[in-house]
Amino acid sequence: MSRRWLHGLPLVVLAGASAAGSMLARDVPGRLNPELSWCGPSWTRPLGCGEAGVDLLALIASAERGALMLAVAVGLVGFAAGTPLGAAAALVRGPVERLVERTCDLVQSFPTFIMALAVLSAVRTPSRLYIGCVFALTAWAPFARLALVQTRSLRSALFVEAAAALGRGPLGVLLLHVVPNLLGVAAVQLGSTAAAVVVGEASLAFVGLGPPNGVSLGGVLDQGVSGMLRAPRVLLVGSLAVFATSGGLLFAGRIFHVEPRGR
Amino acid sequence: MHPTRGDGRRIARVIAAGAGEALLVALALSSCVFAAFRWLPGDPARLVLGDEASDLAVSRLRAQLHLDEPMAAQYLRFLRGLVRLDLGDSFRRPGTGAMTEVLSALRPTVELSTLAVALGAALGVGIALAASGPWLGPRFRGGVDRFFVLVASVPLIALAPVLTWGLAARLRVVPLPGDPQAGIEGLLFASILLSLPLGAHVGRVARAALSEIGREAFLTVARAKGAPPTRVWLMHALPCVAGPIVTVVASQLGALLGGAVVLERLFERWGLGTLILQAYSSRDLPVLEGAVVAAGLLFVVAQTLGSALHAAVDPRVRSGVE
Repeated sequence: MSRRWLHGLPLVVLAGASAAGSMLARDVPGRLNPELSWCGPSWTRPLGCGEAGVDLLALIASAERGALMLAVAVGLVGFAAGTPLGAAAALVRGPVERLVERTCDLVQSFPTFIMALAVLSAVRTPSRLYIGCVFALTAWAPFARLALVQTRSLRSALFVEAAAALGRGPLGVLLLHVVPNLLGVAAVQLGSTAAAVVVGEASLAFVGLGPPNGVSLGGVLDQGVSGMLRAPRVLLVGSLAVFATSGGLLFAGRIFHVEPRGR
Repeated sequence: MHPTRGDGRRIARVIAAGAGEALLVALALSSCVFAAFRWLPGDPARLVLGDEASDLAVSRLRAQLHLDEPMAAQYLRFLRGLVRLDLGDSFRRPGTGAMTEVLSALRPTVELSTLAVALGAALGVGIALAASGPWLGPRFRGGVDRFFVLVASVPLIALAPVLTWGLAARLRVVPLPGDPQAGIEGLLFASILLSLPLGAHVGRVARAALSEIGREAFLTVARAKGAPPTRVWLMHALPCVAGPIVTVVASQLGALLGGAVVLERLFERWGLGTLILQAYSSRDLPVLEGAVVAAGLLFVVAQTLGSALHAAVDPRVRSGVE
């Protein structure tokens, strides 16, 4: 097995821990048991309780799963939309290439967090779907820019010219010869986009614009800050979860990254 | 090389191009805010008044917010209001203009962000200079590089609460979140927290750039002429890496502004983030719209200033050479 696959190990461990946590937890995530507020770890509640007696293990496992699913979904949408767009623009050249490049500049200079604040403020109950839509609106741009730059050097490569000379149409050249060669660099971007989504979602939930049931990593951090003096473990568990999730995704992005071979 | 009059014209051209782009981004952001409040599911007037409100009250509010006008007219009115800094009165505090509230919250956020940028740049450049010059051994240099990578990879949302717990709750060396007596100490601590990721990014870039030019001939000449290491690195090497440093600061501004909102919430400090959350919870639509657009504009203006500064310090940018 190639050592590259080891890059995915932290993410697999994290997803496994989240699944195991959900199975081990005795309570529904986010259910309030005021009499157990800030209770310490026990056999029934291995991580103890948070504010209003929520089972911390159930909460963190569910929040972790939600954050991972959102991050991967947004990353894949950005990848699927941005990579072919950037590659196609570089193959077409001329005004289309310049237009896509300028649009990427504009979108990448857009404050996504502020836009997310606006959109989530405008809806009755912020949900992960809305958060995902906002992040997806700008997630495609870094993929498109990377694909554009990479395709500029690929478009004059001999194998691309040979494919065109052998009668392969522009769509075939794009999908069969150019895009597969972009997967390595796009996968690294996929990891950093997904990690940024985890951090963005946690930040939004921390400031009060998370899912209404409070099941999010930012919600755990919010509880941790309010119970900082009474039960610091809630804060530490929340911080560790955000760090591990974003780090695991960043690391996993390197699975498909191929180091150039020395010649 | 000092900028000449021709360089001045080129810098002005870079600023004009940047301002044009900034205007476009600002217009796009304002349009998104406008669209979000009008096109997303749910009637904004019903959102403000709640489900129990009578139809008469809802229709009155719709008229007050001009929601009964055609969309194009509403959009023009919204843009005109932004230009004139008049988006109507705050719902929460009748008689106070929404933009007056926004401007009062803008100052603390600008103070926090500016101090964080200054501290982050000073911290990153200072450590990178110390590690690149002859003052530290190879082991320390490796340690500095690893420290930069570690701090840059820890999200602020995970790092800031833990550091606050350690320093404020355990060691009691900084004020606790929400302490009304925190004053300048609170601002300084929040700025230091906000500056840490920025400082690490700046440090990584500065360290890489300084290592690259460390063996350049002009530095050898300066050393051969008897210049002390401080002069060699500060006066000769540092100006050459100012471009990448300014670029990385500009690219981190979005994260910095998001971080400022998070830290305002963490420390219960007054600022744009707190205002947005207050306006959100009380459904104060005019303030919400104004605050979000102001936050976006702050980001856009800071980015444009960053580009202008980059053009001023790097002759390759102002001459259009890539």
